[in-house]
Amino acid sequence: MSEIISRRNFLKLAGLGATAAVLTGCGPAARYVTRNPYYDMPEYTQTGLSTYFATTCRECPAGCGLIMRTFEGRAIKAEGNPAHPVNGGKLCSRGLTGVQGLYNPDRFKSAVQRPQRGDPAVEPVEWDAALQVVKDALNGPAGEVAFLLGLNQDHLADLVTQLAETIGAPAPLRYGALGMFEGRATLVKAAEQVFGQAVFPYFDIAGADLVVSFGANFLEAWLSPVAYSRAYGRFRRAEPLKKRGYLVSFEARRSLTSGSADEWYPVVPGSEGLLAAALGKLLSESSGFSAVMDYAAVDVQAACAAAGIEPEKLEALAQLIARAERPLFLPGGNALGHADGLAAAVNILALNAGRGNFGVPGGVYLTTSPAGTATLTDLRGLVDRMRTGQVSTLFIHGCNPVFELPPTLGFTQALANVKTVVSFASFPDETALQADYVLPDHTPLEGWGYQYTLAGVDRPVLSGAQPVVVPLYETRATADMLLSAGKLPYKDEVEFIQSVLEDKVGQPDANISGTDLPSLWAKYLQAGGWWLAAPSLSAPEKNFADGASTAQPQAAGSGQFHLMTYPTLFGDGSGANRPWLQETPDPATTVMWNSWVEINPKTAEELGLHDDDIVKVRSEAGEVEAVVYLYPAIRPDTVAIPFGQGHTALGRWAERRGCNPAELLKVTMNEAGDLAFGDTLVTITPTGKRRPIARAESRVGVYGDH
Amino acid sequence: MAEEQYPEKWGMVIDQDICTGCQACVTACSMENNIPFTGEEEVAYGRGMHWLRIQRYWEGEYPEVSPTHTPMMCQQCGHAPCEPVCPVFATVHSESESINLQVYNRCIGTRYCANNCPYIARSFNWFDYEVPAPMNYYLNPSVTVRRRGVMEKCTFCVQRIYAGQETAKKEGRALRDGDVVPACAQACPVDAIIFGDLTDPNSRVSQAARSERGYTQLEELGTAPRVTYLKGGGTYGG
Repeated sequence: MSEIISRRNFLKLAGLGATAAVLTGCGPAARYVTRNPYYDMPEYTQTGLSTYFATTCRECPAGCGLIMRTFEGRAIKAEGNPAHPVNGGKLCSRGLTGVQGLYNPDRFKSAVQRPQRGDPAVEPVEWDAALQVVKDALNGPAGEVAFLLGLNQDHLADLVTQLAETIGAPAPLRYGALGMFEGRATLVKAAEQVFGQAVFPYFDIAGADLVVSFGANFLEAWLSPVAYSRAYGRFRRAEPLKKRGYLVSFEARRSLTSGSADEWYPVVPGSEGLLAAALGKLLSESSGFSAVMDYAAVDVQAACAAAGIEPEKLEALAQLIARAERPLFLPGGNALGHADGLAAAVNILALNAGRGNFGVPGGVYLTTSPAGTATLTDLRGLVDRMRTGQVSTLFIHGCNPVFELPPTLGFTQALANVKTVVSFASFPDETALQADYVLPDHTPLEGWGYQYTLAGVDRPVLSGAQPVVVPLYETRATADMLLSAGKLPYKDEVEFIQSVLEDKVGQPDANISGTDLPSLWAKYLQAGGWWLAAPSLSAPEKNFADGASTAQPQAAGSGQFHLMTYPTLFGDGSGANRPWLQETPDPATTVMWNSWVEINPKTAEELGLHDDDIVKVRSEAGEVEAVVYLYPAIRPDTVAIPFGQGHTALGRWAERRGCNPAELLKVTMNEAGDLAFGDTLVTITPTGKRRPIARAESRVGVYGDH
Repeated sequence: MAEEQYPEKWGMVIDQDICTGCQACVTACSMENNIPFTGEEEVAYGRGMHWLRIQRYWEGEYPEVSPTHTPMMCQQCGHAPCEPVCPVFATVHSESESINLQVYNRCIGTRYCANNCPYIARSFNWFDYEVPAPMNYYLNPSVTVRRRGVMEKCTFCVQRIYAGQETAKKEGRALRDGDVVPACAQACPVDAIIFGDLTDPNSRVSQAARSERGYTQLEELGTAPRVTYLKGGGTYGG
């Protein structure tokens, strides 16, 4: 038998049921996706019939299971994997448009070299030469190499971590806008303070009967939106012996999540932690709540005044919570992205502790996913190293820092002092535009991998990814590129992935089992990953007694309005080049193909502003021009700009649409090192210009009314 | 007719108490049914091709303001106002599935049907919309690609209905509840859309349609829609 066994032959063998006997002694199986001539099609490619592959959606870090429908070698439609514990067959808009990434005409089609940074003109470069660049960097002084990865907790993150350890380079930083807007590091840090373990908590929304969300957009973008949306569906549905769940939300703007809430309180941004403390104080006076914090110093009246909510309403809510059987409190990004965000997160988690809902249905659990997300403080450390010339080669994969980070951090300027910037981007994004070499990785639907799932699931999951089509262009797996330097004992990407799966061989109680690696591998590919068959998360322990924080909400700098920035369907902004994501109306405003600034109609009237007026939004950090959208459900002292548009690169569908609110964010951190993006104040100045934006509302069937 | 008859009457229930308005159904519908994207300008003129849209209405005044979400698509009316006005029988009633079919190669683009649809559920191909290569690779081979001058609308994913029927026939059994799931219901993260056979009193969709929260859109027009909505925003006996 030949050394290399094709995917086709592998499936044939696996199909014959002769797995163990035949495959033992073969070369590494099913590693290579081969191109076959038309007359010799693999048997799974039958003309007129679809083939389905189980893989993982890698559009965001949540790690939903996919079943990709393919047809004669083309990927047709992304559907959810019904067996997958994260999404149970469901998908969000981002996952559904994954094929528009795979087949995007603006992709990099081969390795390129950029003679001048910032100039879109590129020259093709041979892969061998590109490989030499990577090898030279990895064989050079280890301290001068830096890796910047996206948020996805995937095989590449593991591999690069190992690689950095082996060569003695600094550990890779994993960062992305989604984590920034979730206050991810703050949440983990607060979990460490409250539970003693630095991991993501998992919130069992489905089992709760009352959910109080402190700025957690769990139906849109927070941690694992599809998993939490599924849980919300079960939470909301009344069934025999199960009450309809009741959702309460504190948020300055009525977002999609707050829009589904039965009670919405538009509170001053940054006052969420204070309110949590006030609620704790009110609850500690009721039965069924054993305070884990000292609430003596909390002044309920003052907290309500600072948050802009009537004390009677908070008291009514406290009574509602006291009557609820399984209330759950969610610390969302809007509450955490403030100077005192860590205290807010602790206050909110302490409410869960007070109700004792740890490790019970409708309560809080601890996940097993390694956290390991970088904070903005870590990023600033990297930027400092870059600026002072300590980084000679920067490898960037899976993130777009030039677009996602506040420009005042100085990432783009610091790049000038980095000798070689290597991007593994698939698309010509803003960061790739600053890279000397772009060595495009396979897109997620063309490549191998695995992904640990994040906080949205009640058990450990190693979600599997495999190519569903042969790579379209001359791209190469980044893992293979990095392994080619010979620093790690793996022949290629698949061998590395299999080395991780090897631990699972012979392990019982999982969705798949195998007595040897090849049979487990075959089942892993077929099932779309490895996970435990039953929920198995541990309950956190209360291990702290600290005073509740009574830090006042504070907005830094001067300005008329609080600025809210929130991620949308575009996630970290990388979804903006999917035309169907652009044409899918925004859930709250129904705007398509653009961005906007939301202003309360009353405020707009005072300022003399109307829908579609262009205004200058100015903060201490910078200014952008945005189109006014009169949003009836936002505080009059707050304006909001969605994140994700305003690209200056990233292809024909993304460029020159709307504005990027990151330009308004000042670089101030909270105690956990996350960006305090919620403390931004802005002023609004009319420009006298107008720009009608496309929206689905009011215009359906109205031909010509523009 | 010599054609096989299937007894199913397909119907849908949408629970507005659970629907969050997240738009996953809208995207799923577009990706399944080869619906072209038209670009900012066309969509601003109201020429977007969405077969399914979510009507978001605000109720009340700040701070008591609250949104309602109504996913709106062709209601597959029993007495469809679009049908009698089509001069070429492009908009016809299918007896077997009890849905409204749009026969693209008959359509001559008079747009009378869209004019007569009280739900504004039909979209018209004003132009040929380009899907630049290689993006056309993902086009679904089970669904016709329409061109300029043709009216189109939600079909209840009729291709999936046929696929389900064929699979059941091949396996020599009757269709089971859940065999046929349209793209919107398949994607819906909160499971607010239920689809199935209304002639089976035990199917999920029949049970849900009997809810005391159920109503149909513009029922005073007597169009006999096949889509039942369940009112949202309350605790309803719980």
